Amino acid sequence: MARTWTVICVAVLTAANSGVVSADPVVDGDRLSKVLNQENAELEVSVKPSLLVDDTAYLRRASVDLIGRIPNHQEIQEYLAWSAAERRSKLIDRLMDDPRFVDRWTTFLADMLRLRSNSPGGAAALAFVHKAVEDDMPYDEMARRFISANGKAGAVPEVAYVLGDNADPMALAGVTSQVFMGIRISCAQCHDHPFDRWTREDFYGFAAYFGKTRRYENQFTNTVYTQETTTTSVLWPPEGDAEGSERKPVLPKFLIELIDSKARPDFIARLESTRKSEQDLIEASLAASSKDASIDDLLLGAADKALDRAKGKKKTSFDVASEARRARESIDLEADMRSQSELRRDLAELVASPRNRYFAWNFVNRVWADLVGRGIVEPVDDFSDSNGPSHPKTLDFLADEFVASGFKFKSLVKMIVTSEPYQRGQAVGVEEAEREELRAAFLAAPARRMLGEVLYDSILTAGHLFEYKHPQGANMKTVSERIRVAVPREGEVITPQSLAAAGNDTAMQGRMKGAMAARGAGYNLESGIEIDFDNILQQAKEKAAEAVVVEKMEVKSAEQLEAERMQMDGGDRRRFRYVYKTVERTYDDNPVFGSAFRMASPAAPQHFVRIFGQTDRTQVGVPRDHSPSMRQALMMLNGKMTHEASRVGPFEPMHKLLVGKNVDLTEAVRTAYLEILTREPADEEVSLARSIVADGDTTLEGMADLRWVLLNSNEFRYLP
Amino acid sequence: MNGCQDYHVTRRAMMGASAATIMGFSIRDLLAAKGRDHAPTAENVILFWNGGGMTHLDTWDPKPGRPTQGEFEPISTSADGVQISEIFPELSRQMHNVALIRSIAGTQGAHGRATYQLQTSYNQTSNVIHPGFGSVVVHEKDAIGDLPAYVSISGQAPRSSYLGQSCSAYFVGSPGDKDPYLAFPEGISQTRGNKRLETLAKFNGRFSGKTTSRKLEATKTSVNDAVRLMRSPALKAFELDHLPLSQFERYGDTPFGRGCMVAKQLVETGVRFVQVNRGGFDTHRDNFEAMRNHGEVMDPALASLIQDLDESGQLKKTLVVMLSEFGRTPKINKDGGRDHYPGVFSCFMAGGGIQGGQVVGSSDEDGYKPKDRPVQVPDLHATLCHALGIDPEKEVMTPLQRPMKLVDGGSPVMELFG
Repeated sequence: MARTWTVICVAVLTAANSGVVSADPVVDGDRLSKVLNQENAELEVSVKPSLLVDDTAYLRRASVDLIGRIPNHQEIQEYLAWSAAERRSKLIDRLMDDPRFVDRWTTFLADMLRLRSNSPGGAAALAFVHKAVEDDMPYDEMARRFISANGKAGAVPEVAYVLGDNADPMALAGVTSQVFMGIRISCAQCHDHPFDRWTREDFYGFAAYFGKTRRYENQFTNTVYTQETTTTSVLWPPEGDAEGSERKPVLPKFLIELIDSKARPDFIARLESTRKSEQDLIEASLAASSKDASIDDLLLGAADKALDRAKGKKKTSFDVASEARRARESIDLEADMRSQSELRRDLAELVASPRNRYFAWNFVNRVWADLVGRGIVEPVDDFSDSNGPSHPKTLDFLADEFVASGFKFKSLVKMIVTSEPYQRGQAVGVEEAEREELRAAFLAAPARRMLGEVLYDSILTAGHLFEYKHPQGANMKTVSERIRVAVPREGEVITPQSLAAAGNDTAMQGRMKGAMAARGAGYNLESGIEIDFDNILQQAKEKAAEAVVVEKMEVKSAEQLEAERMQMDGGDRRRFRYVYKTVERTYDDNPVFGSAFRMASPAAPQHFVRIFGQTDRTQVGVPRDHSPSMRQALMMLNGKMTHEASRVGPFEPMHKLLVGKNVDLTEAVRTAYLEILTREPADEEVSLARSIVADGDTTLEGMADLRWVLLNSNEFRYLP
Repeated sequence: MNGCQDYHVTRRAMMGASAATIMGFSIRDLLAAKGRDHAPTAENVILFWNGGGMTHLDTWDPKPGRPTQGEFEPISTSADGVQISEIFPELSRQMHNVALIRSIAGTQGAHGRATYQLQTSYNQTSNVIHPGFGSVVVHEKDAIGDLPAYVSISGQAPRSSYLGQSCSAYFVGSPGDKDPYLAFPEGISQTRGNKRLETLAKFNGRFSGKTTSRKLEATKTSVNDAVRLMRSPALKAFELDHLPLSQFERYGDTPFGRGCMVAKQLVETGVRFVQVNRGGFDTHRDNFEAMRNHGEVMDPALASLIQDLDESGQLKKTLVVMLSEFGRTPKINKDGGRDHYPGVFSCFMAGGGIQGGQVVGSSDEDGYKPKDRPVQVPDLHATLCHALGIDPEKEVMTPLQRPMKLVDGGSPVMELFG
């Protein structure tokens, strides 16, 4: 079944317009709750569940989980203005529509797939996943693409998956089984798995699916790509065991049995019907698009775009009809297949098959664990005979519903966040043993700390740092800095031209960097530059267009190459040496930060989000480390970001409550609690907080102290 | 339960029972093999990491009169019969403290893989990342005093991987510059900052009843550690402002010179492992020009460091090592450069029980192959373990529950210890 995503995407947009098959999240959440409660009853769980969290706690929890930051003041007011009966479901709809939902869950998938901005094609792959989440691309489709893609890094975004492990069959075998099916077989690379069923032959058979894929690197065009060869590199017996015997190519063999193709479980029947109606919609939209677009259609498109802009979407929606037309023109199934690996295409079909229970189990369990704080199978990537699910029926239900929905990520998330287990409070004031029992039965929430990116963005939200909060020129600062300046060696005259000709613009860069660094004045471990995913995808398309040219490039002469290298190296650097000078610089310290979810990822090793648990995404099966460290404490206590977030800017609503004619410290304290902790302060908290504010040299300083404490508090970084 | 972890169940179960004793010896002592059967000769390490692959021929292993000699002449040193390159005139007077190994037999010729092996002792594999040697040291040896046990200067140290975040290096980007994270933010006085900390402790105390994570206690510890570090007089070890100008003149006021001065202060304050990073050794072109410049920077700094550590007595406890991922080709290419060459290369060690003034092993007359006493890469790590009293065969668990030895085999180069 070769299906092309562009087409599905059209169907989804059309479906949204025509009001077809829209699952009711609340009902689905309730169904999930019932299944779990029923299963707990069967498991004879008798502990008393924790209560569901209150409305504001739910708002904070869901905002953090779905859009990766705490709610702002306006969002809290809006939420509280909704009627209590529909608050939670309306909230989920709003959050899932937020462009930040896409950013937040791109990070989830990037962690899972170990996508790295700085690996070959990694940036394009991240942009691809971003688009896939935005369009709610079916998860099976996404998985198939990653497993089977071939081509040039950056031009074929999905190839980053195979290139991320250097197209090494052994590595990819271990990674693919663990990431997509939750099966750990990498131990069996070197020895039969001692306590699981996997043998070395199983491993080699699985690795053989990757055996014909090769990684190539063209050093002159600086491109990396994969291609298929005719011979496999996976041979049996393993190297070192051969002892003179001939090593023979291993035939690919899948690890596990799929559900028999004659059987037709309910969820498969439902999937087929879901896919059929999607197909019908495509046909219909193609048929409609063949007619000339009427004025009404055009107006409708314009209205959609305006609506999107109003919602704050960064990009405009595309015209459904014309996109469908273009999609039909671009569907060249044969070409599509050629660009994939045949072996890996087979593998992709097996891995991502609705009949492969591990595929759906693994993914729903990962999403569940991320949202609920504990997997039904734990660790999430270790499904084995000796490590079964704690709640097999609940896991089956989630998997069945996920498959039946057409592997729709959003509907899975919706179902979970509207269910009881997601909404449970923590088990406070009970014995350790009972707490563990409650958590194991998903009747109490574990304490969860925000992800590093969420913490970063939440500080920015609470501290109004996404936008300027001080007037221009109100924070002028002078710093002295050491900068590097190029000076000529004897007999040389330095000119801008000679610097540029020598490729030696380091001195200039030094200056510019100095100016930029001055803004952070030594705090660059907290800064980040937002990435434009759409632009990356556009570049990928352009690269794909030139792919043919590159592969047919003629071999260059040694002289040509030498000339190119000279140019790249910047020629003769010996003419310059550098001295350091101290200069004074005045600048306006009026900081604005970008979202951590939009930075290149993984971030630099000492960056805030790395210190708070973002991994380098190189190792498989290494979850984020949420344990505290001294470096974390130092960054929070003394960092630029917490400091600036604590200071109250004149453009903030709170400012007028602290200075001027209408000072109202109680209201200011309330605002601080709502903005930072998403809750009202208790009476005694108000009086304590008021005394802190009053204790400052000015009310503004006192409030900065209070906000600094709240931002640094455990209550801020642990979810309610 | 994952299976792999129980693969070595017998041995580990015994290790776990180390509190038990047999005839008065603890089981751990009886099992302890290498590294624990003698008193350590070193307390701390300064590792100079010269990234890019430093030429051995133009530094520690000159080949006078051979076609591979290049532009530099060898010079005699304070160690009898030991000659080094002319680019190290100051250092030549400290060579009685220094031992050279001239017969490292490397196997990796690409930067990434070679760096990985030299820094971890392991060859790079696809399914596990090994910790850098600094992490291994601080996993086995606690910090003395307030400062972090492991500090990396002017560059990133390798990852701590499965040894955990607490074994990763404390990063100093620009040696001698103040780390803004070690003081209250600009404009926040000590009084105000301390008051904030008190209030924070109060708020966290109130909150701890409302949530259920054991990590809250660890958060408290991390804040306390941070505050202790911020308030520690030992922080001066990161700073150079108090030094007289003459020190800057001796070491050279370069990032490397300042790195050496900070490294010296750090080991004197009890830091276990300091890594000083320096790049620019990948001299495919103009090798001799580049190395002359390196010499100008490295020579005064290294010589002053060894001299100062020696005079204060600290050198007895501190092992100073200089490593690079490989050497460079004896043949000089048409660009006046030398290319990657792992076949044989050298390293530099001083202090911490190392007998100075000697050379271990040699390369052949043109510097192509080890001539005698070839030293394998993991032998270097085993040597450091021996000096520090660390058992290189001790096993730790990876996330996939696979037991890994601290060092990938290797045996200590015992001649170094005299």
